Amino acid sequence: MQKVANVVIIGGGIIGCSVAYELAIRGVKDIVVIEKQFLSSGATGRCGAGVRQQWGTETNAILARDSVKRFEGMNEELEYDRDIEFKQGGYLMVSYTQGEWNQYKKNVAVQHSLGIPTKMITPQEAQEIVPHLNINGLVGATFCQTDGHANPFHVVDAYYKAASRLGVKFETYTTVTGIKKENGKVTAVQTTKGDIDTPIVINACGYAAGTICKMAGFELPLYPQRHQALVTEPVEPCQGPMVISLHHRLYCQQTPHGSFIMGVGDPHEPKDFNINSSWEFLEDVARQATTVLPLLKNLRVVRQWSGLYDMSPDANPILDEIPEAKGMWVAAGFSGHGFMVGPQTAVLLAQKILGQESFMPIARFGLDRFRRGELLLEPAVV
Amino acid sequence: MRITEHPILDFKRGEEVTFFYDGQELKGFEGETIAAALHAVGVRVLGHSQTMHRPRGLFCAIGNCSSCLMVVNGEPNVRICVEKLKSGMRVETQQGKGCLK
Repeated sequence: MQKVANVVIIGGGIIGCSVAYELAIRGVKDIVVIEKQFLSSGATGRCGAGVRQQWGTETNAILARDSVKRFEGMNEELEYDRDIEFKQGGYLMVSYTQGEWNQYKKNVAVQHSLGIPTKMITPQEAQEIVPHLNINGLVGATFCQTDGHANPFHVVDAYYKAASRLGVKFETYTTVTGIKKENGKVTAVQTTKGDIDTPIVINACGYAAGTICKMAGFELPLYPQRHQALVTEPVEPCQGPMVISLHHRLYCQQTPHGSFIMGVGDPHEPKDFNINSSWEFLEDVARQATTVLPLLKNLRVVRQWSGLYDMSPDANPILDEIPEAKGMWVAAGFSGHGFMVGPQTAVLLAQKILGQESFMPIARFGLDRFRRGELLLEPAVV
Repeated sequence: MRITEHPILDFKRGEEVTFFYDGQELKGFEGETIAAALHAVGVRVLGHSQTMHRPRGLFCAIGNCSSCLMVVNGEPNVRICVEKLKSGMRVETQQGKGCLK
C-alpha cells in the first residue's frame, strides 16, 4: 500500500466512493479509499434503496432533488458498463391520520418552493397509482413521479470504476487503527496495512464514524440504530412507486427484478451496534405491509437482513471539519437517507474541501448547530 | 417410473387420483408431491430460466430453490416439490415470474 496520499477517505460506501470520484474529477491526485470489508458492505448495501425528494427540511430536499438529476444520467456520466437500475416509479407517501396529513402539507410547501413536482392526491387517485393500496381510513397521499429507487451495489460499483479510471486507489479489507495528528492537524492514518501520511482525511464510515473521530480525540454526537429489511420472491411488475406510510413506519418497493423490498422502523430499537435479524421484525413488517398493501399477503419472503443507521440528533447529516483535528472531515450522520443524497453530498463536500464555490451553503450541516441548538429537525423519516 | 419395492422404505401410497397438467389428464397418488407425480409420468422439464430461457428440472426437491415453480389452481410460484397432490388439481407450467393476485 502507498505511504503518502493527498486525501485518505475512510469508508467504501456511497459517500466514500462518490466523494473519491468528485475529488478526482476535480483534479485531485493520490486519493486512497480505505474500506474495512468490501465496497457497499455497510449501510449502503443494506439500505432500502429509495431515492425521494419529498422531504420536510429544505436541506434534504435540495440534496435529494439535485441527486435525482445525477441518478438520471449516472450510467452515462460515470460511463458505467452495467446499469444502476434507477426506476422512477415515484414515491407514494400515504397518510392515515389528520396530524400526519397536516405535516405532509407543510412538507409539500417546502418541496414546491424548490421546484419539486409533488402532487397532493385523494385516496381514490392514490389507488389508481397503486391498485392494491388499502384506502380504508386514508386521509390523502402525496406523489412525486420523479422519485424512485436504484440499485446501491451498482451505484457504488459505478463510482468505484469511474474513480479507479481517474487513478483513485481502493484498499478493501483494511482497518483503520489510529489517526495521527500534530499541532491540531491530521498528519497520517494508521491501518492494518501500514501508515499513510496525508493532510486530509474524510471520515465517511456511517455508524463507525464516531469510532474514527474518537481516534482523533473528538466525540461525535452520533449513535447507531438497527433497521431491518426483507426481500420477497420476484413476481411480475405490479407496483410502480415506493409506498411509504410513516404512520405504519413502513416503506415498500418493487425492484425492476420483481422482488419486493420492505422494512419497518422500530421506535423501541436500542442504541446499539447489534445487526442480528429477528423474528419480531418479520411479524411486525408482515402486519404493517399487509395492512397498507393487503395483496402482499400472498408473497413469500426470501431473505431478511439488517443494517445500522448512523443517527444524528436531528436526523440530518454532519458535513464539517473537526475543530480538534484540522484536515479531518466528517461526512456521516445521514440517519437512513445517505444513499439518495449521496451524489450531491459528495459534490458539496468536494467543493468545500477544495475551496471552490459550493452550490448550496454547507454551514447548515456544521457541527456547531448542535451546540447552538439550531437543529435541522427532519419530520419525514422512517 | 416408480419404485414399488424398497429394502428399507415402506410406501404407503394414497388413492390413485386424476389431475391436470397443462390441460392434459394424468394420474398420480394422493399425498405424494406434485413433482413426484409428474416425474413418474416422465415430465422432466418443469420450467425455463428467466434470462437465458434454459430448461429447469427438479433440483433441490425440498422447497429451497426456485427450480420447480408452477401455477397450481391459479396460484403462481407454487413449489411443486413440496406441494401435495390432490384429486382434480390444475397444474400449469409457469410463464414468467407469476402475477400476484
